[in-house]
Amino acid sequence: MSILKINGLVSSFPEDKMPATIADLLLNLGIDSAAVVAELDGQIIERVKFSTTSLHHGQSIELIRFVPGG
Amino acid sequence: MILTLLLPERFFMSTINEKLGCSIVGIAGLGGLGSNIAAALARSGIGKLIICDFDKVEESNLNRQYFFIDQLGRFKVDCMIENLCRINPQAKIEGHKIKLDSENIPKIFAGADCIAECFDSVPAKQMIVETVLSKMNCMIVSASGLAGYGKSNEIQTRRVGKRLIIAGDGQRSTDTCKTLTAARIGIVAMHQANAIIELLVDEIKKEVV
Repeated sequence: MSILKINGLVSSFPEDKMPATIADLLLNLGIDSAAVVAELDGQIIERVKFSTTSLHHGQSIELIRFVPGG
Repeated sequence: MILTLLLPERFFMSTINEKLGCSIVGIAGLGGLGSNIAAALARSGIGKLIICDFDKVEESNLNRQYFFIDQLGRFKVDCMIENLCRINPQAKIEGHKIKLDSENIPKIFAGADCIAECFDSVPAKQMIVETVLSKMNCMIVSASGLAGYGKSNEIQTRRVGKRLIIAGDGQRSTDTCKTLTAARIGIVAMHQANAIIELLVDEIKKEVV
């Protein structure tokens, strides 16, 4: 099993189901990448790098989401 | 006489006043959030406000934004400067009639201690938060979830990491609740303004005596 901490909560993935990138994780979670700011182990990952940023066992990711209105 | 009443010295202890007086705050967008935040911060004696919006005042804005009927059709930035100077003639305001993007944000807000994210669209909110957190060193106070009416106590100010604060209920959007009311958007705007004052006094200008 691989583990990711997503917004403070631990999620377990079977080895073959572990999302390979941030883009894969967002797809799994059904989250639109245009509405998210992602922080991986304390580092902001720009949206254009979501599909090239690999995820690994034990990492912490914060997904900050927005809804319209202002 | 009236000027003395408006001076922030009457409302703040001198150290707090001093901290706010040497602070620079950027306001990205002058809609229901930004126009009301600008007014609150001008009343609080913030040293300088950098306000940005490329839009003009429309009739549909007047139910919640800090503009007046005789300002219809004019640039929001110009009208806001007038309105803020009527509140506090000593306010220092820098206005930019420009569409903000990831390239110009770090330049326009270069000297800011803190930026208020006051956009309406999600891609714009995402863009400025990502830009400030990845390319700049200042704080950003954002908003998410402010549409509709009532449910005041579901609106919260949350710290998300070291340099980001988000105000709102995180849920009610202009997609799901079709209405925007001055009262509810005003609560979120004042959450943002209050968070900015707290950040400036207790964290950013902590060393200023």
